[in-house]
Amino acid sequence: MSSATLSSTSAIEISNLKFTYPLSSATLCLPKWSINKGEHVFLSGPSGSGKSTLLNLLCGTLSPTSGNIQLLGRPFSSLSGSKRDKFRAMHIGVVFQQFNLIPYLTVSQNIQAAVYFASSNKQNRQHKMHSRLSFLLNALQLPEDIASHRADSLSVGQQQRVAIARALINEPEILIVDEPTSALDTDSRDKFMQLLKQVSADSTLLFVSHDPSLQQYFDIHTTMDAIRLGEQAPC
Amino acid sequence: MLTTIALGSLKQRKSSVLLTLLSIVLSVSLLLTVETVRHQVKSSFASTVSGVDIIVGAPSGDINLLLSSVFRIGSPTKAISYSNIEMLIEHQAVDWVIPLSLGDTHNGFRVVGTNNAYFKHFMYGNKTALEITQGNAFTSPLSAVLGADVAASLNYTLGDTLVLAHGLGNVSFKQHARHPFLVSGILAKTGTPVDKAIYVTLEGLDAAHDTPATAIARIGKPKTSTPHSTTHEIHHATPHSHADNPQHEQEFRDNSDSYKDDYTPKVVSVAMLGLKNRVAALQLQYQLNQNKTEPLSAILPGVVLSQLWNIMGNIEGLLLGISMLIVVASLFGLTTMLLASMRERRQEMAILRTIGASPSTLLFLIQLEALLVSLAGCVISVVVVATLLFTTSEWIGNHYGLYLSGNIFNVESTIIVTAVLTATLIIACFPAISAYRQGLHSGLNQT
Repeated sequence: MSSATLSSTSAIEISNLKFTYPLSSATLCLPKWSINKGEHVFLSGPSGSGKSTLLNLLCGTLSPTSGNIQLLGRPFSSLSGSKRDKFRAMHIGVVFQQFNLIPYLTVSQNIQAAVYFASSNKQNRQHKMHSRLSFLLNALQLPEDIASHRADSLSVGQQQRVAIARALINEPEILIVDEPTSALDTDSRDKFMQLLKQVSADSTLLFVSHDPSLQQYFDIHTTMDAIRLGEQAPC
Repeated sequence: MLTTIALGSLKQRKSSVLLTLLSIVLSVSLLLTVETVRHQVKSSFASTVSGVDIIVGAPSGDINLLLSSVFRIGSPTKAISYSNIEMLIEHQAVDWVIPLSLGDTHNGFRVVGTNNAYFKHFMYGNKTALEITQGNAFTSPLSAVLGADVAASLNYTLGDTLVLAHGLGNVSFKQHARHPFLVSGILAKTGTPVDKAIYVTLEGLDAAHDTPATAIARIGKPKTSTPHSTTHEIHHATPHSHADNPQHEQEFRDNSDSYKDDYTPKVVSVAMLGLKNRVAALQLQYQLNQNKTEPLSAILPGVVLSQLWNIMGNIEGLLLGISMLIVVASLFGLTTMLLASMRERRQEMAILRTIGASPSTLLFLIQLEALLVSLAGCVISVVVVATLLFTTSEWIGNHYGLYLSGNIFNVESTIIVTAVLTATLIIACFPAISAYRQGLHSGLNQT
């Protein structure tokens, strides 16, 4: 998990990261933090501690004010906007807290959208949809005919599982998951966590939640406070 | 994929999209109609007459003379003496003269009194001569030649007889039942007012207007015996065919031929002139306008048509301007609809961003949505206007003398559609930029 030593095996590396929202005095400062490839990390922290901001920075939907983010050995924060978007589409899968899917598209179209943004080659896209969709739906215990259903006709649990299928369709090296179980009951949550661990076995997983009971599913866990108080804080 | 997303998003907001689409359809239809009618009327007017160098009539205003004589629009001008026609026929600069006598109708179609020079010299379009597809030109003073639309509408064939009505209304209380005309020929379709007229001889038309008393005074005796005359009049009060009655047909012709000598026309409405040398047109026009014996008005059709377009130009410009403003207003409606939806679409934008869409993609997506609505509006408008013109063109032709077709696929309509789509792209920049900005800052938990 969090290590002082940055190595080439790191999936995520942060150094001297600083971010301030426009028109806000609150600043997120993270001195050094990294996650090795293949690690499944549980990150917790109270509301307002900067979890979501950190995830947005890791996704590239926000840019740091200063400092560096390296993903899979590439200087992610230094990439141009379009390259960052492409990198995200190809190498990062994201699962939202809720409202994961575009409601007016079918399950298949929601997943296809992720493939579309990741690859400009039509044949590759078709191949990926053909080879991965059935596998993921099966793995996530979703019936195959669900592919033609509109996203807004699914239950919350089904939507969450479809969101995982979409996040994994491009076989991303990094999977970022933001409080996906908040809308689920205990039974569903346990099943969901088991499925998530199973299908993301080959990816680096960063799981964010304020629910400490979910720690049991992860070997490595850390908190926002622990990351903030790392050595040589830049703020 | 982006088209699927755009269409799905539009379907999601069906009601507001349909209302916006309706406003675009109405405004673009209005603009297309104005432009198409303007364009078709111009080309229809320009192709109605060809090769006529001068039109001569009673002084009544150049445009009125042109409209009534060539396009059969409005009331005919006051008559001029036939001696003027004789003078023009003799004139050394004149190659041919077509006298026209206007003012009667038959079942709502205008009747034109003329002579065979009309079929020989009158041209339309790009100097295309008239063609008689069935029968012949005037073979006797009571011959009638039908325009193609008249024959088709009234289902007349060669040998049928018809009775003229006085005046230009569809319904007339005065019918010239004593002088029925026999259909001797039917013209080929021209797509001009020629198709919607019935052509009769000047002599026959003159006779039709004669009262029995004046007829006796002019020719000294009735054309047929009184008993026959009465039954004949009743017989000819309704159109009918002589084709199956050769004896009656011959009697009709014999009776008709005697009109030629007795009814030399005294007046006509206008005369169309073809000159031996067009260079002499201005000189002859001046000469005719200075005519001492009877006031005459001579016009050059091309020049008067230009005057007409000049007068119409301002009105056309105004109509086009208003139509364009309405289109712009409806496009702003489209933009407002998209802009208003941006707040409720934050979640959608955030999802798209996190699965790899760039802010530029979001900008393009909104532009695509606007373009799809606008394109659908244009396509529906083209279909609506084409259908409207196709179904009403005959009615418009009959009532207003304007000959329109449902074919609106021309350079002008293409320019309009292109301009509307371009304007859509420009105006849709507002919501598109809003989406772009939203895209720059959207992400997890921004929903």
